[in-house]
Amino acid sequence: MNSDGSLVRLEDVHKWFGDDLYVLRGIDLAVTPSEVVVVIGPSGSGKSTLLRTINLLEEPTEGRVLFDGVDLTDIRTDLNAARTGIGLVFQQFNLFPHKTALGNITLALRNVLGLSREEARERAVEQLREVGLEEKADAYPGQLSGGQQQRVAIARALAMRPKLMLFDEVTSALDPELVKEVLDVMQRLAGEGMTMVVVTHEMGFAREVGTRLLFIDHGQIVEEGEPREMFASPGHERTRQFLAQVL
Amino acid sequence: MSVGEGAAAAGDPLPDEPRRPPDRGLRHTAGEQTPLSSLALAAGAGGLVLVFAGSAAVATAYGWTPTESLAEAITSPAQLVVLLTSIGLGALAGIAGLLGARRAMTKGAREGAISGAALGLQAIVLAGFLLWFRNGDVERFARQFFDFALLSDFTDRFLRAAGNTVVLALSGEAIGIALGLVFAVFALSSRRVVRAPARAYINFFRGTPLLWQLSFFFFGIVLGLQLDVGVYTVAILVFGLNAGAYSAEIFRAGIQSIERGQFEAARSLGMSYLMALRLVILPQAIRRVIPPLTNEFVILIKDTSLVVVLGLTLSQQELLSTARDIYAQTFNATPFLAAAAGYLAITLPMIRVVTWLERRLRSGLTGIGA
Ligand SMILES: Nc1ncnc2c1ncn2[C@@H]1O[C@H](COP(=O)(O)OP(=O)(O)O)[C@@H](O)[C@H]1O
Ligand SMILES: [Mg+2]
Repeated sequence: MNSDGSLVRLEDVHKWFGDDLYVLRGIDLAVTPSEVVVVIGPSGSGKSTLLRTINLLEEPTEGRVLFDGVDLTDIRTDLNAARTGIGLVFQQFNLFPHKTALGNITLALRNVLGLSREEARERAVEQLREVGLEEKADAYPGQLSGGQQQRVAIARALAMRPKLMLFDEVTSALDPELVKEVLDVMQRLAGEGMTMVVVTHEMGFAREVGTRLLFIDHGQIVEEGEPREMFASPGHERTRQFLAQVL
Repeated sequence: MSVGEGAAAAGDPLPDEPRRPPDRGLRHTAGEQTPLSSLALAAGAGGLVLVFAGSAAVATAYGWTPTESLAEAITSPAQLVVLLTSIGLGALAGIAGLLGARRAMTKGAREGAISGAALGLQAIVLAGFLLWFRNGDVERFARQFFDFALLSDFTDRFLRAAGNTVVLALSGEAIGIALGLVFAVFALSSRRVVRAPARAYINFFRGTPLLWQLSFFFFGIVLGLQLDVGVYTVAILVFGLNAGAYSAEIFRAGIQSIERGQFEAARSLGMSYLMALRLVILPQAIRRVIPPLTNEFVILIKDTSLVVVLGLTLSQQELLSTARDIYAQTFNATPFLAAAAGYLAITLPMIRVVTWLERRLRSGLTGIGA
């Protein structure tokens, strides 16, 4: 935890791509443990970039990222170690196609956390069971449906026992009938007290599971608040317009 | 990314390799042939077979060795009959084929007629060439190129030469793959100071002739600096450096062909750059580059022949230098044929392996469909 009681805090984070593309324009954000922060906003507004700066996959051009009492933007920080505390799930799953579901999970357990073969296997099987895919342990990603692949990806991230989970439009690449199985896993995770930052277009999930809603446009947090209140009475014109389009 | 959505129930066997397009050949259309198309097929195939089988039969009758009897066979009246008959059959196939194709009522009959004409044309070309050939100084030619009796004296040397060719190529390729991997990673570095020397190495060895490289490193560096390094070792090192440059480009392309998301997923799990490369990127990239790498290897096998310029000792000689050596001793060119046979014996299986691998990798049976 950070000194202010937050698990992760972004302080005046700016991100440029090259000299012309100004994607994050001064983000201040603190997420306290067990919060489920849902991020919405138009395409290209910087939502993915925001998530990716939290685990320093994108290095902020300016500003600080503090996670669990460690300044990730400090050059001396061991980022690899810090990243094991932050799970990231991608829109495109990004499972390793040359590894089975089990192998996808054990790879980092063995090589990053240094677990023994048995420990890794045990933990991976248990994690697969939690996402309802125990019997797919030996299947390759190419043999799984999109929803199953995404649940394996979530299991892979969770197996590292992270304190924070980041979800980047994890249901956007799924056929509609497969969305629910993934959202169910995320909802249960939230119920267990996991701290989560979720970029999504699933407004139902935002309303039911989110503890805070963040509307981002042009790289800035335009408005934030309690999800139900914000849906009912958005405070900004741009939020109103965006919600009118997606609801 | 919709891969395998169809095969949702896991444990389902993967879909079979995509079926080849329906064969346009004749196997399934025997019943459709007309008299004309059948005639074209029979005459064409007969003519072509006759060129080979007839000539071989004549040569066997007169004897393949010594060269005098082989020359006699080639110039014999029997051989003339064989060739003229083949040409006649070929012409018949051509005419029947053209007429048959025009009048064909079914696809099968037209295919049959066209195939017959094509075979007939091949018979005419081959027989015509042999006809022209036997008007030359066949006696001399047979002595020069077809002295198979002479080869039997050098069987051991050729076997050892083939072994040396394989050793040169394999050691060069092994060094090349190791260098290639390292320099591919360097060439992909975001740091210019790492990238630049890697590019310089790759461009230099891809941009200068291998023959120049061999000459420079041996005559220039080793002899010039009086280093105590043997020809054979220098050759292997130069082949390695050269193969390394080409392999580096192949590996670089392979690594870049892996989606960025793979690397990001690995890093987000706490893997270091090198760990992500080793555990996630390379296992996938290597499978993709096996076909082009094997192709490079086939080229290297042939290029080992360039060591002839270095002057190898007897026990170090590979196929081409052995052929040249024997030629210099005997003034007989048959050893060159033997060398060609040796190269083909090594490269053809490799080429088949490449084709097989490519088909296998494309069919996605390795779990790299995505
Ligand atoms: N690695 C990158 N290099 C250059 N531009 C990028 C990169 N990543 C994202 N961008 C650009 O930054 C902007 C915001 O992207 P992103 O954060 O993915 O938006 P969102 O997730 O809200 O759709 C887009 O214009 C995108 O093209
Ligand atoms: Mg995005």
